[in-house]
Amino acid sequence: MDAHDKIRELLGLAVAGALGAEEEKRIEKHVASCASCAAELESWRALAGGLRRLPTPQPGKLVVERARAQFEMRLAEEIESRGQRRTMIFLLAFAWVVTLASWPLFRIFTGGLLVWFDPRFNQTWLVFAAFTGLLWATGGLAAVLLGRHRQQERRTA
Amino acid sequence: MTWEGQVGLDSEVVRLRRGDPDALAALLARYQNRLYRYLLRMVHEPPDAEDLFQQTWVRVAEKILQFDPRRNFEPWLFALARNLAIDHLRRIRPASLDEPAGDESGDTKAERLVSRERSVLYGILERERTGRLAGALEALPVFYREVLTLRFEEEMKLEEISQVLEIPLSTVKTRLRRALERMRETLEAHHPEEDWSRSVN
Repeated sequence: MDAHDKIRELLGLAVAGALGAEEEKRIEKHVASCASCAAELESWRALAGGLRRLPTPQPGKLVVERARAQFEMRLAEEIESRGQRRTMIFLLAFAWVVTLASWPLFRIFTGGLLVWFDPRFNQTWLVFAAFTGLLWATGGLAAVLLGRHRQQERRTA
Repeated sequence: MTWEGQVGLDSEVVRLRRGDPDALAALLARYQNRLYRYLLRMVHEPPDAEDLFQQTWVRVAEKILQFDPRRNFEPWLFALARNLAIDHLRRIRPASLDEPAGDESGDTKAERLVSRERSVLYGILERERTGRLAGALEALPVFYREVLTLRFEEEMKLEEISQVLEIPLSTVKTRLRRALERMRETLEAHHPEEDWSRSVN
């Protein structure tokens, strides 16, 4: 393939603005002295110009309005859901902090009382597990009740 | 896009992430025609394009909170639209998504090209010519059609096209070249009487 053919192959890309400055200069230089490539480049330009000037179809007003309404509804849901996720993460972290922080208090206030009821309670890990389980079960129950209440609210809204 | 345009767009996107309805109105006004045109070029049928147009904005609403405002919004928006259009085409016409070979030349929709009738009125001639161009574009395989519409109608940079199509820059260039060649072959084959080097005004 000689230089002429190579240049000719690049003419389509030239009108698409897909060539580097150096290649464009090469084309410019070649086209100045080659009538056949100059005509070919003109054809490509006309085609590119035609594509740029194709009429722009427009969506109907109703379609745009519907898209807007759906967008707003979906975005509101997303924002709400994101807020709920954040609240959930915060509550989870808070619950652990409360659990861990209240453990020493629990030990102080219950003292040897639990050991008196059941000797197995002198095993610290078991008491801690029972204490944590109780707290989380209470929290879980509250979350389920709140969730149901919220679902009912949504249904009636 | 100008610097002012990009700054305006950035602030609209940031406001949109906060749920500002004015920002949505501004973005819709900015993109509604371009997005619809792109979708129509992809799927051909106006009802399908309208449906996908709405789905695209719903998808934007779902994803905008994860969108990094430092990124370019436009290729992101068109990539969302493209993915939906490709899914749609995969459902209804899987064969239309086959990657075309570089040297193939079958044009099954050539019959759709507009009437050859000549009119004495220049305006009508020009409309016909434009119609032929549109018909030839429509007859191209989807991978060629989309790259042409993104480059020439949407006037996207090659890097932006590469982001929308999720393909390397070199592949964008190859597709562009092949798409232009195919388009020209189609036009010359079906309208040999037309001088395609004459500008369309």
